[in-house]
Amino acid sequence: MAMERTMKSFKSGAMALALTLTPALAMTQFAPVAEAAGGKTLQTVKARGSLLCTGHDGSYLGFAEVDNKGNWKGLDIDLCRAVATAVLGDPSKVTIIPISWAQRWPALQSGEVDLVIKASGATLSRDTDLGLQFSLSYYLGTTKIMAHKELNLKSLKDADGGTICIPAGTTQQQQIASYTAKLGIKLEPVLIEKTEELEQAYFSGRCDLYTQWGPVLAIARAAKGNVEQHDILSDVLALEPEVIVMRQGDDNWVDIANWTLSALWFAEQEGITSQNVDSIRANPPSPEIGKFLGVTPGIGAGLGLSDDWAYKVIKNVGNYAEIFDRNLGAGSPYKMDREMTALWNAGGVLYPYLID
Amino acid sequence: MFALLRRQKVRNALLQIFFVGTIAAIVIGGWLNAQQTLERQRIVSGFDFLWRSTGWEGNFSLLAATPNDPYWWFFVVGLVNTLFLGVIGLLLATFVGLTVGLARISSNEVLRFLGRIYVDFFRNIPLILQVFFWYAFVTHMPAPRAAYDLGSLKISSRGIYAPVPNVQWEFLLASVVCVVAAIVVPIWLGGTRYLSRPPEQRRGLRVAACLGLLALAVLVFAAGGKAGEPLFSVPELQGLNLRGGMRISPEFSALAIAMALYGGAYIGEIVRGGFKAVGRGQIEAAESLGLTPWRIFSHVRLPLALRAMLPILANQYIWLIKATTLGITIGFTDFFMVVAITINQSGNTLEAIGILMAGFLLVNLSLGALFNHVNKAIALKGNQLRS
Amino acid sequence: MMARQPAAGDRLSNLRKRFFPTPLQAALSLASLALLVTLAWKIVDWAILSAVFTAEGGPAACKAAEGACWSVIANRWRIIMFGLYPYDEQWRSALACLVVVAMIVLSCLPAFWTGKRIAAVWIVGVALFYGLMKGGVFGLRYIGEEAWGGLALTLFIFVSTCFIGFPLSIVLALLRRSELPWISRVTGLIIDSVRSLPLISILFAFAVVVPFMLPGWLQGDKLYRVIVGSALFFAAYQAEIVRGGMQGVAHGQEEAAKALGIGYWHRVSRILLPQAMRNALPATINQFVISFKETSLVIVVGFFEILASGNAAYGTGEWTFAYVEVYAFIALIYFVFVYSLSRYGAFLERRMAVGAR
Repeated sequence: MAMERTMKSFKSGAMALALTLTPALAMTQFAPVAEAAGGKTLQTVKARGSLLCTGHDGSYLGFAEVDNKGNWKGLDIDLCRAVATAVLGDPSKVTIIPISWAQRWPALQSGEVDLVIKASGATLSRDTDLGLQFSLSYYLGTTKIMAHKELNLKSLKDADGGTICIPAGTTQQQQIASYTAKLGIKLEPVLIEKTEELEQAYFSGRCDLYTQWGPVLAIARAAKGNVEQHDILSDVLALEPEVIVMRQGDDNWVDIANWTLSALWFAEQEGITSQNVDSIRANPPSPEIGKFLGVTPGIGAGLGLSDDWAYKVIKNVGNYAEIFDRNLGAGSPYKMDREMTALWNAGGVLYPYLID
Repeated sequence: MFALLRRQKVRNALLQIFFVGTIAAIVIGGWLNAQQTLERQRIVSGFDFLWRSTGWEGNFSLLAATPNDPYWWFFVVGLVNTLFLGVIGLLLATFVGLTVGLARISSNEVLRFLGRIYVDFFRNIPLILQVFFWYAFVTHMPAPRAAYDLGSLKISSRGIYAPVPNVQWEFLLASVVCVVAAIVVPIWLGGTRYLSRPPEQRRGLRVAACLGLLALAVLVFAAGGKAGEPLFSVPELQGLNLRGGMRISPEFSALAIAMALYGGAYIGEIVRGGFKAVGRGQIEAAESLGLTPWRIFSHVRLPLALRAMLPILANQYIWLIKATTLGITIGFTDFFMVVAITINQSGNTLEAIGILMAGFLLVNLSLGALFNHVNKAIALKGNQLRS
Repeated sequence: MMARQPAAGDRLSNLRKRFFPTPLQAALSLASLALLVTLAWKIVDWAILSAVFTAEGGPAACKAAEGACWSVIANRWRIIMFGLYPYDEQWRSALACLVVVAMIVLSCLPAFWTGKRIAAVWIVGVALFYGLMKGGVFGLRYIGEEAWGGLALTLFIFVSTCFIGFPLSIVLALLRRSELPWISRVTGLIIDSVRSLPLISILFAFAVVVPFMLPGWLQGDKLYRVIVGSALFFAAYQAEIVRGGMQGVAHGQEEAAKALGIGYWHRVSRILLPQAMRNALPATINQFVISFKETSLVIVVGFFEILASGNAAYGTGEWTFAYVEVYAFIALIYFVFVYSLSRYGAFLERRMAVGAR
């Protein structure tokens, strides 16, 4: 009997050992997280052969959508493709990782994605508390408020006591709180995480008002098809510069994101499109364009990229105007204007860095 | 050494130390590794954020919360919201469940069929889909200006507005106590041994006690009225919204309806099982004693069935409390929603998740302990249930 | 009794006895009947009579109609079923779904209810599913997990949750039964803690927190972490069911086996487990049903399972209004799976009740 008990306890002990030994051993090694370590992102991406990108988990009309064939499209998605092309030379070498809004920062911090492109605003606490790093801003929009026309609102001040739909976990959540405090009015917030559900709540009349980043408001209204039934109020809550977000501590990776954006704007400024890029490359009109398109060397080495990276980006993804047009502008169902998001020479605030 | 290992006690001790040790190693190792990762990326960690103000606000709270309040207060608010929704959801689900369960054991065939369709339908579609459906349903009610008007109850896309008493809270409380007493005292009078009059002849006494206490309740209520204001605050249209009365937000009602209907289907089956577990012999014995059908039901079948149901019911209740976390999908500011927003706004991922887990462990383990206690307290001695 | 055709009057009185024995009962029957008929009529009218079915009319035809707009399904069903899976390869996803269905059907047949056979079915099934979906072998194109979606992903999460969770639940149940107090206590603590946490929070923790806690090479894809989390949750519940089944096995049997000198493994695998599993079968099927429904929660951690794919299906400029139809379609798919599984559970319960008598 005693022997029997021993055997039994031994057996269950052995099982416990088998169950726990593996992870326990693994734990004790504390191997560093390769992806998360500073200065290594580019090597990691190259070794992996694919860029892990986004922070969208569903529709964000115009910025990320899924077409009839299950492919991602949208402005943010095209920017992912542009970075992938710059780094790996092929726009298809991007893996769009769906992550929910609440997960995007932890996912970035833990190395699950290489960058987050999800119409994310640059804020102080994201920069300092969350340990994030921003690129140049690639889209400028103001946070605005849409209201049902029948309410006849002139500005938000008239809406005291009304109900407002707010995307949860975003910068708008704080902007609306401080703006209403400034006006001295009280609104009842409705916080919803998924954009689809949020817009339904507004259009069904659950909310009088809907605050969003301006472009998304205009798109939502256009997609709904009854533009005249919804007013976008004149109130501007905040200017929100949208940026590509990266982990802190990898300057090279930030440079790559910035120069990819710069390249898109430079090409637009110089009139280089995916259509004419080959002919311009064959016969560069100026030395700086020659350098830009990799005819003369120098643009890639400092970044750890090949010299024709910018050429490939323009060839495969197009310049910024082309990206905008097909996703948000004339070539899309939304017919948006560029407004602030035009180049400096067209009344906007975007500009490329100099290529010398 | 080997001889020592063969000693059973020693070996058992070693095995246990090893088992507990490895689990502790996993936990501590994970924690240390997380510290390293955070430090390497210069991410702020620790619990200091709890005392910072949030800068955002939720859409539903029993306790007042403003953007200037600190994070820890928001966690409390979220937990209270979760518990409130949980309790209301449980009560509604129990009510629906009892109805469905009784329909399913009734002698009426159409009713039984209806009960069965109900259970089959609501049990076989995921709760999250039902929540989406009910949320769409309640938000597609008419706008406040065109609200459905049921007397002083108004139903609109902004929620359900009900009149509430507009009296000082001390008086309100006292009057509620009177109403409860009006139910409890007559029951006590029916069974107590302190009265010399036999129980069968106490009917007049009981009715008198009940009516007297109800009248007292009305008096106390009226006495608590505020000067120059009506006794009830009734919802009325003002500006963009209905004002006055009590408002039940659509997020809350959608979740409560979904929990009630989904949970009701499960509880209905538990109720049916409980009644089926009451031995046929017990009912026959009661019948042969000449008890009326109502007395058989209330004095024999129900108490026995309740004891058979309770352990399963406890599990179901805990499950339902956990289901409140679906609030995040439609924007009810429950505990989980507060945690998720905190992660996004302050970045204290590990701490926030830790608080989430601790909160639910606390609630559900104490709920489990409570049910165990009740279960033991009402258990019958001897075996009166058919196993 | 003689089989005989009941006379018409007989039938009528029979009917009356069944549905209208007393005025109260009659009123109850009529009210329930009226409720049933109204509901059925409303649904039929919305879903069939005034609905738009064709894909050609597009959104415009739908907005004009009173009833349901099934053209959104006709246009976007491939997104709902397959999510982000590459369009030209979606036949693989469809085939993989069939493999899972076949696997579930096979494991419902009593002929496969021996440890070895059931394990063989599941290992072959999961391997086949995985090979078909992921590719990279037999000339199939490689497709990473982040592109999986729709019904296939839902099924994958369900199947792998059971695949990992089931054996784990047996291990946990045995550990909790251990005679060594610390082993059984610690296991009990783990099981009770997991059971009192909401599944959403566990999924969230495994998706978001675990990467911080594990060294990089151990993290694995988010999908697998979430599956591990969901399997742990499943196992904690299932372990209690298995333990309940073990308690139903008469103690004398184990003592008799010990007296005969039968070893621990032998005793567990040949005497204890077969009987315990038989006792626990109805509750086990119920647990499968519940965890199938709970796969829908992974939407919260950003997966394109069937519900999220549904959101994406109506989340495009032209179809934003047609969400009710999309949700109805998804509800129908869930219903077909869950209902047949739970009917099967009820059938088993009846069958075993007969056996036990």
